[in-house]
Parts: sequence; C-alpha cells; structure tokens
Amino acid sequence: MHTSELARTRAWADTPPVERAVVQYEVEQFLYAEAALLDARRYRDWLALMAEDVEYWMPVRRTVTNADIEREFTKPGEVAYFDDDWAYLEMRVKKLEAGSAWSEDPPSRSRHFVSNVRILDTQGDEITVEACFHVYRTRLERDVDQWVGRRVDVVRRGGGGFLLVKRHLFLDQTVIQSTNMSTIF
Amino acid sequence: MADGTAHPASWDRAEIQALFDSTTGWLDRRVLSDEGLYQLELERIFARSWNFMCHESQLKAPGDYVVSYIGEDQLIVVRDEEGEVHALLNTCRHRGNALCRAEQGHAKSFVCSYHGWNYGLDGRLIGVPGLSTFYHGDLDKSRLGLAKARIESHLGFYFATLAPDAPSLHDFLGVTGRTGLAMVCANGEVEVVEGVQKNVIDCNWKIAVDNLFDWYHVPYSHASANTAGFFDIARIQFPKSQMVMLGEYGHAIGGPVIPREVQDQIDGLSDAQRGEMSRAQPEGSPRIRPKSATDLMGPEGVRSQGHPNIFPNLWVTISGTQMCLRLPRGPSHTELWWFTLVPKAAPPQAKREIVRRMNHVFGPAGLLEQDDGENWSQSTRSARGVASRGLGQALSMGLGRDEVRVGAGGEHYVEGLIGEHGQRWLYRAWTEWMSARDWAELEATRSAPPTGLI
Repeated sequence: MHTSELARTRAWADTPPVERAVVQYEVEQFLYAEAALLDARRYRDWLALMAEDVEYWMPVRRTVTNADIEREFTKPGEVAYFDDDWAYLEMRVKKLEAGSAWSEDPPSRSRHFVSNVRILDTQGDEITVEACFHVYRTRLERDVDQWVGRRVDVVRRGGGGFLLVKRHLFLDQTVIQSTNMSTIF
Repeated sequence: MADGTAHPASWDRAEIQALFDSTTGWLDRRVLSDEGLYQLELERIFARSWNFMCHESQLKAPGDYVVSYIGEDQLIVVRDEEGEVHALLNTCRHRGNALCRAEQGHAKSFVCSYHGWNYGLDGRLIGVPGLSTFYHGDLDKSRLGLAKARIESHLGFYFATLAPDAPSLHDFLGVTGRTGLAMVCANGEVEVVEGVQKNVIDCNWKIAVDNLFDWYHVPYSHASANTAGFFDIARIQFPKSQMVMLGEYGHAIGGPVIPREVQDQIDGLSDAQRGEMSRAQPEGSPRIRPKSATDLMGPEGVRSQGHPNIFPNLWVTISGTQMCLRLPRGPSHTELWWFTLVPKAAPPQAKREIVRRMNHVFGPAGLLEQDDGENWSQSTRSARGVASRGLGQALSMGLGRDEVRVGAGGEHYVEGLIGEHGQRWLYRAWTEWMSARDWAELEATRSAPPTGLI
C-alpha cells in the first residue's frame, strides 16, 4: 500500500494545471493552519478539524534488509505507535486538558513543519495528499526531540473548509529517540 | 562467563553491600549514576543471568532471526534448518564487524559485509574468501565459528545466558519467574504480534524496573489517563488488597490480588461461568482466568493481578498482553522494547481489539506510558548531583509490617496494603549479584526468598 500511495493518479495528473494549483493552495493552507493550532496548543480547536471517521495511524518501522523490505512497516491491525479513531484522539486531547498530564506540564514547545506537499488524487470530496513532516519539540531546560517522516493524508471538503479523514505517518526512526511521544503529529 | 571483571578494584563487596540497606530501605543513589557500577552490572548481572530474547512465534521458519541483547552484547537469535534455535554473538570472528544489521528477518546464512566470511545458521564458519590463496589453507574454520550463548525456553519464551555455569532456565526462574511467564499464557498459547515498539529514555534501567512493582504511583502519575476516560484507576488498583511474591534471584510479582475467599468461589466455577462473570464486570476490570490457569500459575499465583519482573529486566504486564525489556545503555540511558502478545486461538476480531487497546497502553505514545519517562529521567538526573545523590532513595513503605506466607507450591508472598517490598527485594538481590565474583559465590551468598516479618 505504501508504494501505491507514491504515485499521482492519471486523472489528477491530467487535470489542467491552473485547477490543480488552486486545490494545491487550498490544501496547503489547511495543513498549515492545522499545524499552527498544534503549535499554539489549541488542541480542542485542532480536534474540530478531525472527521468523525478519522483514521490516525503511525506504524512501527523496522530496520530490515532489502530482501525483507516489505516488512519495513507494520501493517494495519498490528502494533502501532498511533492507532487512533476520533474517540482515541479526543482522549488524547482530554488528557492534555486534564491538568495532570505531567509529560506536558510544563508544556512542550513544538513546531510542526509540513513540506513537499503533493496531491496524489481527488475522489469526489476527498483529496489524498502526501507530505514530509518535521516535528521539532523542546522540553524543560534542554530536551530536544525531532521526528521526521512522510505522511499520507486524506482531507474531505465540506462546510467551507476541510476535515482530516486519514493520516498515516511513516516515521524515519526505528528506535524512537525520545522519552515519549506525548505530541500530536 | 566466569567473572571477567574489568573493574576489580573499583567496588569491593563491603562497598557494594553498603549501597542498599534492606533494614531501612535506604538506597544509595550512586547505583543510578556511577559508571563503574554500570560496567560491573554488565559483567555481573547481564552477562551472568538469563536474558529474554524472543518468543518462539517470532521464529516460525528455519532462517527466521531476530537481533536481541544481553546487556550491550548483541546476539542473533535464529532457527536453523533442523529447527533448533541458536543465540549467536553478532560479531565476526575475523575483525568484529556485525554480521546482521537488520533487527529481524530471514537468512540462509550470515555473510560478513567486510570480507565476506560466511556463517551457517548454527554459527559454524562455512566460508572464508581466499582461504587457500591468502591463508595458504592454514586457518582452522572449526575454531572460528560465531560465539554462542546458552539458550533455553520456557512456555515458548527464549532466554539466553553467557554464563556456562548458570543454573538451568527452569531453576533460574524458580516458582516466581515461572508464574510470571505463565501469566502471559493464562488464557492459552500466545503469539507475538508483528512490531516491537522501541524507544530510549534518559534514565537508569533500574528506575524503570523498580517502577513496575510500584502501584503507589498509578493514581498520581497516571491521573490524566484516568480523567481522559482511558482507564478507571478505582477498578484496577485495589490499594488495600495487594500481593507481592518474592522469588529466587530477585524475581518478584507485585500488585493487586484476588482475595483467597473470592478465589475459592471462582475455583468452584466452570470456564463458561467464569466467562459470564467476566462479562458482567465493568469494562476494564481484570479478567477472571480459566481453570487451566491454576495449573500454570499455581494456587497463589493465579490470584495475582500484579506485574511480574523476571530479574533483571523483563516486565510482564498485568494482563499478560504486553512485555517490556529494559535494556541498559549506559548508567543514564535505557532502551525500552515493548512486545504485544495475543492468545493464538482468539478470533481475528478479538485479537484486533487487544492489539488496539495495547497500542494505547504502553509504548512511547501510550496514554499510560507517556507520563512515566520524565519521572524516571529526572530521578536519574538528580542522582548526578553531589548533594542530591547523597540523600538516597527512601524505599521504606510497608517495611516490617507484613508477614511472609509460604504457599503449597513454595511461593513466598505477602498480602496487604500497597508497599515497597518488591523494590526492596530487587535492590537486595542487586547487591548480591553485584558483590559475587562468579556463579558459585552468588549461589553461596544469595538470600533465599524471605520468611517471617519483612
């Protein structure tokens, strides 16, 4: 599934460039605004951008040889760092709001970068978009964490904006170099 | 390994023994920060004890391998063509290069990427490029196979040791270690789910280990997961109904317990009735184990809803659906490896539900686990300050208040309030492992599981 997500569909590639540029602009602006909410610690507002049927997933990545490369990422249903639906995402937000989420108090300082944004497909209201992410987090006096990877999002158009329907996060680390991932990606 | 101690002069027996006072629960914080003690731990604890490698379900076919660790020694654990499992030191006998750089996979043989030396799945050296030309045929391949660790299994869990004189795995585990592993299999044979979550915490490995018996921290450290509705602390903690089982060599199981009189009632029920009773309980309550679990875990062990630690560093979680290795990476760093296990015979949907739930419990993004790491890293950091480390850890809860009972199966256990018996037993065993120069001395000097008031 990972390789098939790399390619733009024919239909999208054949769409006139000006139309594609408009959609690209709209989607990028949505992704940047979403990232800004996380950086501003406005988790409840961020949750409002999640569709009810959202699928938010970060599989485990493994160091494997080229011969075993199809096992590089765990598959849906196997072990994953994030394996969330809307209810689990809401739980993460409630946890952050609880006043006792010690791993985020004092709060982390995070910066969510989204780049290399490429629209791969549009199907009705839904747009599949691939991007690179770089989440930079500092905590306390000198803790620094960085998570870099590729992600595939599906956003759905509606009500004058977008909602996030799917986010699959393919991290570049195999042993996570961090005390925790109390951050939302 | 018969001693091989590289730091004979840095810490003598009396100094090591003085690091923990089991009569007061005072622990010298240098055990969390001292580089010399850390090096001694690698030699006297990790290289000497049985270390968890993997579960048999991770090595289904000949050629399947995983890479694991004994302390900082890397091993390839592989099933050979005959089905036998070997633990091979992952270092070429020529120049030391790692043969295997992947964390798991499938191989026909292990070829060194440096000069092409080739080893069979059983570790035998089978090919040396230029053997007749450059070595003039003068190289005894039979003496240059990969170094091997002893490997044995219990209930499908493979453990390895570098000590030729270690007791068998069965004896090393003793009743407490075997009960701990049986907790995983209490609902039938298990398999490891694809994907081991791995992360690094800037803490001493023992801080991570002593936390697992600690049911005192749950309502405070994990308060936000409770508020968020992820779990209901009141349904799992039972602060006044706790059991700690204290085993050979430092193994222990600590946490909530089903009271004897309740277990007596459960013992009279069929598995179908137990299932009904489990379903009638509120969501998140401990599951009532089937009849067969008593044979596996013993009449006292089967009552435990606590957390086992197989000394030194394997945590089995309460429901037996996750296991965690705490791998030492220097005095101030620990790698955590989280394994997820499901009953082999469970229907796919039931397995999926377990995996999804476990994906949210422990692991770096887990709703519980998120809040542990910083407590441990900050405790480790303070052990580096001259004045801060001079204060010592105060592990006195419940000291001198609980009477050890001995069960029919030889289980040594206390029941009562939340306390720190598990932590004290861990550090007492630690001083004994650390001050013994070899297995013979450890056997001669170690404490048997206690009796009487502790």
